[in-house]
This record gives sequence, C-alpha cells and structure tokens, in this order.
Amino acid sequence: MRFRAKIVDLACLNHFSRIINTIAKLAKTCILRLTVCKLYFILSDKVANGGASMWCELSQGNFFDEFQMEGVAAEHNEIYLELVPENLSRALKTSQSAKAVKMKLTNKHCPCLRVAVELPSLSSSSRIVTHDIPVGVIPRRMWNDFREPSVPDFDVSIYLPVLKTMKSVVERMKNLSNFIVIEANLNGEMNLKIETDLVSVTTHFKDLGNPPWASEDGCQSSAQGRDLESMAEACIDIKKLQQLLAGQQVNPTKALCNIVHKRIVHFILLHEEVSLQYFIPAIA
Amino acid sequence: CILQCFLSLAVFGKAIHAIARISDDFWFDPVEKGLALRSVNSSRSAYACVFFSSMFFQHYCWTAVSQPCQQEKQLSLPCKLVIKSVLPVFRCANVLERNVEKCSISTNPSDHHVTFQLLCRHGVVKTYNLTFQECDPLQAVFAKHMCPNILRVHSRLLTDVMIHFPTSQEEITLSVTPMKVCFKSYTEEDTDFSRTMLTEIQLSPEEFDYFQVGVDSEVTFCLKELRGLLAFSEATSVPVSIHFDRSGRPIAFSIEDLLLEASFILATLCEAEKEAASPGPWDSKADTATSKQPQQKGNTPSMDSAKPPNASAKQEVKTIPRGTERDVPGTAGAATAKAAGGEATEAPYEKVRELPILSQNSYLYKHCIFQFHSLFFGAVSYKEKEAIGDTFQSLVTASDTEEEFGALQSSPV
Repeated sequence: MRFRAKIVDLACLNHFSRIINTIAKLAKTCILRLTVCKLYFILSDKVANGGASMWCELSQGNFFDEFQMEGVAAEHNEIYLELVPENLSRALKTSQSAKAVKMKLTNKHCPCLRVAVELPSLSSSSRIVTHDIPVGVIPRRMWNDFREPSVPDFDVSIYLPVLKTMKSVVERMKNLSNFIVIEANLNGEMNLKIETDLVSVTTHFKDLGNPPWASEDGCQSSAQGRDLESMAEACIDIKKLQQLLAGQQVNPTKALCNIVHKRIVHFILLHEEVSLQYFIPAIA
Repeated sequence: CILQCFLSLAVFGKAIHAIARISDDFWFDPVEKGLALRSVNSSRSAYACVFFSSMFFQHYCWTAVSQPCQQEKQLSLPCKLVIKSVLPVFRCANVLERNVEKCSISTNPSDHHVTFQLLCRHGVVKTYNLTFQECDPLQAVFAKHMCPNILRVHSRLLTDVMIHFPTSQEEITLSVTPMKVCFKSYTEEDTDFSRTMLTEIQLSPEEFDYFQVGVDSEVTFCLKELRGLLAFSEATSVPVSIHFDRSGRPIAFSIEDLLLEASFILATLCEAEKEAASPGPWDSKADTATSKQPQQKGNTPSMDSAKPPNASAKQEVKTIPRGTERDVPGTAGAATAKAAGGEATEAPYEKVRELPILSQNSYLYKHCIFQFHSLFFGAVSYKEKEAIGDTFQSLVTASDTEEEFGALQSSPV
C-alpha cells in the first residue's frame, strides 16, 4: 500500500485547504478513500455521528501535480484511511505561501499521513514543515460500510437560497431552538421554522427554483404528479445544519436539497470539481 | 520612588502580558537605573525579567528609601503585585497609544500602594490603585556567556515557526547541529503516536542572524511560556537571542537594546537517568514529586515532601564534564542523589562553576538564586557595575542564609 502526492500550484492548494476546512467542520473523524482518479471524504451514518452522513468527492487531477497510489491489492486498487480532518486542516493552514506540499503514507511508529510543506525562506534553502497525521487503515472487509449513498426517493427537490443569507438566519435561530423544520414545495418556496414555548419564527424564501431530475427508466418518482403547493418537511438538528452552512467558505456553483417528508434532508453542494453530499435525518 | 510616563505604552503593556504568561503575580522593582519586572512560575521552571532603563521613560524619578530596620541599606523596594490587577490597565496594548496620552506610575511605600494613572483623550483620567505585598526579592543567575549554543534571530522568524504548532502544544523540542536547526513537537516513549499529530520544522543556519552551535543538543521546553516573550519582542522589534546548552540545562530567550532588556529563562527537560535523580526546582507539574522545604516565608507554594522519582521532572543537571557527547547517567545520578540525602547541599565548587542547583533540600531554593551576569545589564549600567553589585548583594542576602550565600557569591555579578 503506497501513496504519494504533490501539489505545487498555489490556487489548487488553497482550494484543497478550503475543502478540508469544510470537511473538518462537518466531521470529527472521517474516512479518506483514495483511488487512482479520485479522493473521497466519507462519514457514515452511525449513531455516533448523530445519524448525519457525508459524501465528498473530488478528482485528484484537479488539485495534484503528482499523484501515485497503490491499493491493498491489484484488483482492489484503493486505500481507505480513517483520520481526523481537523489535523489535515491544521497542517495545511499555514501553507498559504508554500512552494510545494507533499503528502505521503508512512509507517514510522504507526500509520501516518505525512504532510511536508516547503515554505520560502530568506536563505537559499527552504523551510520544511512536516506534519505527521496519524491515520487508521481500514481493512478491506469493512469497505462495504462506506459505499456511496444513493439519492433518496425524495418528495421535493429545491435549490437553496443564497447560503450566506441562509447561514445568518439559521445562526440566529440556533440561539432559540435546538431543532429546525425545513419545508419546501415544487413551486420554489422554502420555509425555515422554529417553534418553542415562547416564540415561533418562520423565514420564507421564494422563487428558488426546483432542479429538474430526469426519472430513470421512466418510473415515477414520488415527486412527479405532486401538488405544486404541497410542502414536504423534516425537523432536523439545527446544529448540523449550521455546521454545514458555516463550513462553506466559497459559494458553491449549485446548492440544492432533497426532502423526504419527515424522514431525511439530503443536501448537495457542487463547486466546480468538487461535490459534497450531506444527509441529515429527521428527528422522529 | 516615582516613575512617570512612557515612551511606548504598548511595549510596556506587552511586557506585562508576557510576564502574565509566567505567573499570576510579579515583582515590581524600581531601582535607580530603571524599573525591573520579574516573575517566576509556581513550579519554578520559568523565570522572566524585564528591565526598563530610566531612559525608556519620559520622566523617571527615583529616590532611595532608607529603612533603618533593615540590616543593609536597601536601595530598592521590592514588592509584589498581582498581575490580574495590572492587566486591565494595559488591556489592549495596541490601542493604548492611540487613546492614552500619558501614563504615570508612582509608588507609595507607606500605604503599600502602586498607582497607575492613565491620562486619556478628552480629559478622561483613569487611576488604578493597586496594593502590593512586600516580599523577598527575586533574582536569578544564569551564566549566559557559558552557553555553548547561541542563536540570534528576529522574533518574526520564531513566531512564524511557532505558528505551525497548535496553541495547545505544551512542550517543544529544539534540536541543533552545526548544520541544521529543528523545532519539533515533544514526544516521549509512552506517547500515543496513533493519536498525536506531530509537527517538525527544519531551518537552515543561514536564517539566523547569529548562529553558534558548540555542542549538538536537543532541549525541550514549555512553549506556552515563550509565546509571551515572542509577542513582546515583536512589539519592540529587537532580535531574540537564544542561549542554551544540553538537555537539562536552562534555555534563555533574551532581547536587549539601549532602553530595555528582557530575559525569559525556561527549564528544559533532563534526559539523564531519571530514577536516580531527585526532582529539582524545575518540577514541571504540581502533582509530581516536589521539594522538601524548610519553612519559607516567601513566594514559593508549600509543597508536600516526597521523594519519588519522576520521569518527567525537569531539572538542571549537575556538572557534566564537557567533551562527552552524552550526559553520563551515573554522574547525574550520583550528584543529585547526594542532594537527595540530607541537609547538605552540593559541594560549593559545583555551585560556583555551574548554575546553582536548587535541589530539594537546598536553602537556596527560598530565594531562587540565579544572578544575572553583568553582561546582561551591560548596555545600560556598565559603569555602575559596583552599584549594581551592591544592589544584587542586598537583594540576594537574607537573614538566615548568609553563610551559604557567602560561598555562592564568588561568581561575578
């Protein structure tokens, strides 16, 4: 099992750092899956994570100048590592002006992802900052736990409002309540509601637009034939929503959510070469 | 004594903040040549001293207070202030200069007050009256000139290095050879590597303004205590000098220019035989083995007597003959085991030649004796060496330990 990669371009490096920062806000520990073409950050929906799960996918070619990996076996040419994304975020934090960043899988005292940042210095030789991030290698028999989640059979799919606005609304609501209800319909309307003994607050968004989903094999999804005005809703943990919104450092190209009435909310954020999916289950 | 006004409030404020990282209270010590602020932490593993020469102030007026009840003529008034009371005065050191026109400090020994008065814009006057407690003077001796390794670099570089470590990082290791310099997270045998992220920064000697490595060494010290000095030295833009030796010997970070001198002396982790060693003055954690002290009237927290060996006790290693690459464990063990015995302290020659050890039974502990070499004060008071010598003499001497001190005073002050 081997892995070596290098980023030389500063813009790619900053973009990669921002993605890691977003992941770090969503998960304390997550799985990093490496394949020949892609990197995946995966959080499975275990109880420990509050039922929320995450799937983030990026093409390595868009970030790395060099990328070599050898999986556990020829027919399973992949590597699954468990790590704390905050560590990776911290390692990249001070690489704003780096000449190059190299990553390597090593096994000195224990398996580690070694991140070596080459920084410019006043002298002729560069400053090298090395961070050894401990990782856990996930054995192949457990890989099935981390498969890509399928898009749920949603009732309503709608584009999200401007994330900055949504974030500030949710942050204020967070002070009042632990749960928030997201409801939306196929007419481009979405409401965010909280309700406590003392107060209830609703924020209305309209003209958001609904993304077109091609139905597969002509089968009816529950969204078709649905009354346009009818709202699908789910009551979710407000903190999870706030973490998702707070972690967005750049406006995504596309941001939408799929609501399965009273079951789950599925967020999809697309930004150029990166896709992030986040599932928040509804509170019973 | 009275001092007045500042040339640079922000610098003074930053000094207070830096010292605040060491301990909750500090010694406020105006002398004829200037004002000294000193602090030592509860485990005696970090000592800070910032000396502002009288030229630093717009107006500095100091009058000797003769106190007939003292044995010797006290040229200074040692007093201790609680840092928490002083910090609010200099809370936002950066904005101080914009809002405050003048700051004056005066002391009133008779009613035990130190008064800080800030004259701000728009006619606002803020007066802080702080009570001080009289106490034993604090002074430390560290023979910087005897350190084989000396580095000098602008504080910017050190700050840029430290930024790579998390703020929670307690201890870091500085490792030098003539070819390279490396700062890294401290690890020990029982570090859980599967949970700890380790960081290491390699620098080339060319990055330093002055680079002298006489002996390859790896010293581990507390990063938290250093950060205060780094912030302070950035405010002054004076380069930082680092004097150190092998592991176990203290490391000194100092800055000096015409107006002020500051030194932070930190204990370093001793790598010698831990079992035979008795915990010294640099006990890093309160819960570890501590010193068996005779009753003390001063500043040291009283600690339970105990003598268990402690693997992580920081201590100063005794005289180790130079030329050996590694500390000879036996020597260290034997030397300190001697101290562990009874009342007897170490042979005087060792004290004089090397830094005096404050072993667990040493009376010297009471006064945390480290005397600064006059080199330290050279810039300001070179001519007045004698006077300083007298000052140090009176500061260090105390009633019941004059005999021990006699042996000690042979090193130049």
